[in-house]
Amino acid sequence: MSQFDAIFQPIQIGKLTIRNRVVSTAHAEVHATDGGMTTDRYVKYYEEKAKGGCGLCICGGSSVVSIDSPQAWWSSVNLSTDRIIPHFQNLADAVHKHGGKIMIQITHMGRRSRWDGYNWTTLVSPSGIREPVHRSTCKTIEPEEIQRIIGDYAKAARRAKEGGLDGVELSAVHQHLIDQFWSPRVNKRTDEWGGSYENRMRFGMEVLKAVREEVGPDFVVGMRICGDEFHPDGLTHEDMKQIAAYYDATGLVDFFGVIGSGCDTHNTLANVIPNMSYPPEPFLHLAAGIKEVVKAPVIHAQNIKDPNQAQRILEGGYVDMVGMTRAHIADPHIIAKIKMGQIDQIRQCVGANYCIDRQYQGLDVLCIQNAATSREYMGLPHIIGKTEGVVRKVVVVGGGPAGMEAARVAAERGHQVVLFEGQAQLGGQITLAAKAPQRDQMAGITRWYQLELARLNVDLRLNTYADEAQIKAEQPDIVILAVGGKPFIEQVPEWGADEGLIVSSWDILDGKVEPGKNVLVYDTICEFTGMSTADYLSEKGSKVELVTDDVKPGAAIGGTTFPTYYRSLYPKEVIMTSDLALHKVYREDEQLVAVLENEYTGQLEERVVDQVVVENGVRPDEALYYALKQQSLNKGQIDIEALYAIQPQPCLSESTAGDDFLLFRIGDCTAPRNTHAAIYDALRLCKDF
Amino acid sequence: MLNQILPLLIFGALLLAVVGGVRRIRLWRNGRPSDVPIMAGLAALPRRYLVDLHHVVARDKYISNTHVATGGGFVAAAILAILVHGLQLNSQILAWALLAATTSMFVGALFVAKRRVQPPERLSKGPWMRLPKSLLAFSIGFFLVTLPVTGLVPAVLGAWVLALILSVLIIWGLGEMFFGMTWGGPMKHAFAGALHLAFHRRAERFNGGRSTGLKPLHFDDQQQPLGVEKPSEFTWNQLLGFDACVQCGRCEAMCPAFAAGQPLNPKKLIQDMVVGLAGGSDAAYAGSPYPGKPLGEHQGGPFASIIAREGQGLLDAETLWSCTTCRACVEECPMMIEHVDAIVDMRRHLTLERGQTPNKGAEVIDNLIATDNPNGFNPASRMNWAADLALPVLSDVKRTDVLLWMGDGAFDMRNQRSLRALVKILRAAKVDFAVLGNEERDSGDVARRLGDEATFQSLAKRNITTLAQYSFRSIVTCDPHSFHVLKNEYSDFGGQYVVYHHSTFINHLRQTGKLNFAPYKGGSVTYHDPCYLGRYNGEYDAPRDLLAAAGIQVIEMERSGFRSRCCGGGGGAPITDIPGKQRIPDMRMEDIKQTGAEIVAVGCPQCTAMLEGVVDPRPEVLDIAEIIAKQLVEAEEAA
Ligand SMILES: Cc1cc2nc3c(=O)[nH]c(=O)nc-3n(C[C@H](O)[C@H](O)[C@H](O)COP(=O)(O)O)c2cc1C
Ligand code: SF4
Ligand code: SF4
Ligand code: SF4
Repeated sequence: MSQFDAIFQPIQIGKLTIRNRVVSTAHAEVHATDGGMTTDRYVKYYEEKAKGGCGLCICGGSSVVSIDSPQAWWSSVNLSTDRIIPHFQNLADAVHKHGGKIMIQITHMGRRSRWDGYNWTTLVSPSGIREPVHRSTCKTIEPEEIQRIIGDYAKAARRAKEGGLDGVELSAVHQHLIDQFWSPRVNKRTDEWGGSYENRMRFGMEVLKAVREEVGPDFVVGMRICGDEFHPDGLTHEDMKQIAAYYDATGLVDFFGVIGSGCDTHNTLANVIPNMSYPPEPFLHLAAGIKEVVKAPVIHAQNIKDPNQAQRILEGGYVDMVGMTRAHIADPHIIAKIKMGQIDQIRQCVGANYCIDRQYQGLDVLCIQNAATSREYMGLPHIIGKTEGVVRKVVVVGGGPAGMEAARVAAERGHQVVLFEGQAQLGGQITLAAKAPQRDQMAGITRWYQLELARLNVDLRLNTYADEAQIKAEQPDIVILAVGGKPFIEQVPEWGADEGLIVSSWDILDGKVEPGKNVLVYDTICEFTGMSTADYLSEKGSKVELVTDDVKPGAAIGGTTFPTYYRSLYPKEVIMTSDLALHKVYREDEQLVAVLENEYTGQLEERVVDQVVVENGVRPDEALYYALKQQSLNKGQIDIEALYAIQPQPCLSESTAGDDFLLFRIGDCTAPRNTHAAIYDALRLCKDF
Repeated sequence: MLNQILPLLIFGALLLAVVGGVRRIRLWRNGRPSDVPIMAGLAALPRRYLVDLHHVVARDKYISNTHVATGGGFVAAAILAILVHGLQLNSQILAWALLAATTSMFVGALFVAKRRVQPPERLSKGPWMRLPKSLLAFSIGFFLVTLPVTGLVPAVLGAWVLALILSVLIIWGLGEMFFGMTWGGPMKHAFAGALHLAFHRRAERFNGGRSTGLKPLHFDDQQQPLGVEKPSEFTWNQLLGFDACVQCGRCEAMCPAFAAGQPLNPKKLIQDMVVGLAGGSDAAYAGSPYPGKPLGEHQGGPFASIIAREGQGLLDAETLWSCTTCRACVEECPMMIEHVDAIVDMRRHLTLERGQTPNKGAEVIDNLIATDNPNGFNPASRMNWAADLALPVLSDVKRTDVLLWMGDGAFDMRNQRSLRALVKILRAAKVDFAVLGNEERDSGDVARRLGDEATFQSLAKRNITTLAQYSFRSIVTCDPHSFHVLKNEYSDFGGQYVVYHHSTFINHLRQTGKLNFAPYKGGSVTYHDPCYLGRYNGEYDAPRDLLAAAGIQVIEMERSGFRSRCCGGGGGAPITDIPGKQRIPDMRMEDIKQTGAEIVAVGCPQCTAMLEGVVDPRPEVLDIAEIIAKQLVEAEEAA
């Protein structure tokens, strides 16, 4: 038997045959625009997955059926109008052309939304109970509204069908309206829509019947449910089995999607899209439990990232199909690569959750490591073709994310690439990020680049801080500087960096400086590095206070990631203090005194500690750039109009014969940003070399 | 005085030759009957010799010219000598002709001698080193004794000393040429070779026929042995064929298994069969042995088991299992000897009577029996690769223009890419096609080459029955093994089809304007001829034409076309997996690398698998269909 035969076993769902067992499950893409119509971007995004071999795409996470489930916050797809139908036709054609199937998740989100914008909607929920994640209040839904919404579901399903999609998935998960009715935690009604089990089931059942009635037997209708709400007053696994069996018995459901955990608190939300702190497939047992009681096929997604894992799960018969959703965000060609035997070339999702954390901020979903994802429409390629022009000598300085991506892309283009890195290994700041507890999978980003650069025969010069002479000795046609920066702890002289009173977060994570016993971590940035440093120190036994002048430590970290930091920090008694700025540090005997100033009252406080760690972001390293700038043909300038339009840099047409070369700088050595920005800089710049 | 001796010598030698001939014929007749047409065969002899055989010999210009001079000279000289010296016909014309014939033979013999000064590795030594001298002796001897007859020199030269010397030359020459011909000397090749041509077991090959020479076993015939256990179980004309071998070693030089250091050498194999048919040991064999097998340890006889059940027989089984059935030997053999069918005949015995298919062989056969495919995949999953292609299936549509035969590559993820490319091309050309779906079975190729004729026939008959239910005009397949079996071997069981290899078919689509190609921008390409497409079926041009039409200039390997080197994947060789010093696909990849090409185009799932199994760095392996599919310019869909 072949290694991945279980993955490539086609499956019948309703009347539909799906070519393999892999699903990209519903996720809010946050790029349906113009009142919720799918765009060219949307179509290309899904077409890429279909081209890459994905069996089934369930698009349109949380696509709305009614106008009182606001569409605009997450630019989700709007099925409340017939205008959507022709858009669906484009989408369906694009996916079908490559042999894929496509369905859409449809829902009414009830209270799980915001009311303070757009139509200033009055949100509805069975008993008017506030939802904490979105801080949203709502009204108690009235029977007339219930009937209207049931009708809206049916009409929405008809639109999906008329648009040529292959099916709909009713969301009864993540605390949308259907499972708001199910859950006794939020449904306190005493009428026919609440109270007893049958009554709580009624709304979902009526929706299911109405939808099935509308679309007939030949169109797929599935349901996504959770396996256990993980709330003492919520639905348990046994409850969910009962519910699944109850709906399955109608014969109206063609498949069940099952995921673990409820999601109406910050803490449970983190379970739903498990980040890198979770083990592989943490909630498979819940899906398997549901599969035991239903006849319809069961799909499960949650941390299924690699083909061996998928094969093992399918072979074990735990579920019928595996969702590999972020796996496809990170690499839409994952299935094709499995088929081609190019397992090593798969860009595996590392669970950084950049994608989902952007979604919760209402930003378009992007991948931390793959800058082409969701930018297919702009012409950013997942597979980079060889240049038809001249082959150049490209020298890349710096092996962090920007430099690694630049080297990869230039080498894929067929150029001769040398990559200088000062450290003994590639990765740059990713290497640091991966040093923290629970963050080790960040290194997966580097691992992929290592394999790719080796495959592409990039000439790696590790342990080499290239200087001007070394660079020019290579006779480069193009020089790319991606040397990053240094921790910026000198910004406030009173901190005492020059006197050695403070150390940087990098020094700690790198192991250069031994953790102190009693440590104050001062974090002005409130992203991963500060939290990671506090976590690292406390893990090593330090007593840590994490102080920020911002509103909350970790404030800039997204909704699926700060909870897992908190889960790690609180048990280790890390004290988190906000609104205090580090005023100055001075030495007193063996101890250090940190003077903190309250942002709002100006009042000073002191902490006596034996180590002060400052996380104040990065200062770009510009020396090499200014040494080379005047000698370069283009004076180091990037034509940003061309860059933003994903067009070739005009200076590429100039001759770089002899000593002439072009110079570009990218990533943090320009201005400190993040991993995605660094990689995007590199990809859009180098793809036309 | 010579006038008295010469007739005696000539007729004495002829008599001995006849006695030897009769004895030799009796050895051949130990073999089983074979229904070849005797008279028609004899009548076809000159054409087969002058056209077909010469076609092969002429590949080596040196030896072909030499052979015309020596052989032609000898035949003429022999006849004239009988007339002039045997019957003492006193004719100036005949005498001059004899001088001319012996001169030609002399010149030829000089070239034979020259080749023997530093003979290539492949040539046998031993008695064959003596042959040029014998040829010289014969030609010089008869030249000199004929001189007086022409009157050019006085008869005085018949002085006894000289007469004695001449007699020695003549006896030596006659001994080698007449006596040796039928008593087992090198000249046996002329006698056996001529008869072999006349009574060839696969006569259709002389008219471009594409049969395999694998004759179906008739399982209801109790008389017929299941394969060949003893030399006497070959047919008589097979035995005759072995005897025709000139030990030129052209087969050895081309055999991939020999080159890989596996214990097989087709020349030695044929010589072992000669030992077997006459009885004795291989000690006197003077060529390259089977790699790793010293001479003198094996022996046999017409009625002894070739592969001994205990101890040493004539051959070791691994010799037979090393063969990839690539037919490079058959293609090269100037004596038109058929090595492969002999090997398969002997394998049949091992598999059917002894159940001794080595390594994975037994498992593969069990799988074929249980699941109709060699790897034991669930037969209901044959269409999984096309789950998203909505291919028309014959059980639904009943009739189609083209039946796309998927082959067992349908189960293989690598080959599925080739199949999908092929589907894309067929669709682009708007071909009306359908597949058998899960009703398709393995063609039986592997079973047959592993000697399991029973499983082969069962698969063949069931496939034929399935095919009979539907109407289609032709079959197209990307698997040359299925192609060969469907086209050439099913007819013995009543299945007659028009079958195309996909390269031929696509090339035809192109020629009829159904496909348009974009300018080629990919890497440089070489082409590997699959044995079962090239040597077995003579299709060398279509793949090359097609690639050329797509704008690809094929860089040819040194071993290409009919001299292509096998990838190592045929005949069940990867299954029986006999160890050697290196792997055949590695050697083939070296051939490929020598061209400097970045891509090797192939037309066979087996070749793809073998060549892709070679470790990187190596050129990319792509099926022709994959290359072409990428070049397609698809007509815009009507709005
Ligand atoms: C950016 C993003 C948005 C998501 N939005 C939805 C959604 O709207 N509805 C839904 O049912 N699931 C949503 N999910 C959850 C996914 O369907 C999936 O269950 C989850 O990503 C875990 O699977 P994975 O580990 O294969 O990524 C979202 C996931 C991501 C990453
Ligand atoms: S952003 Fe992170 S979690 Fe999301 S797909 Fe990319 S690697 Fe995975
Ligand atoms: S068929 Fe090929 S492998 Fe077999 S003996 Fe002949 S040359 Fe060798
Ligand atoms: S079998 Fe044919 S090719 Fe081989 S040595 Fe004999 S005559 Fe030559």
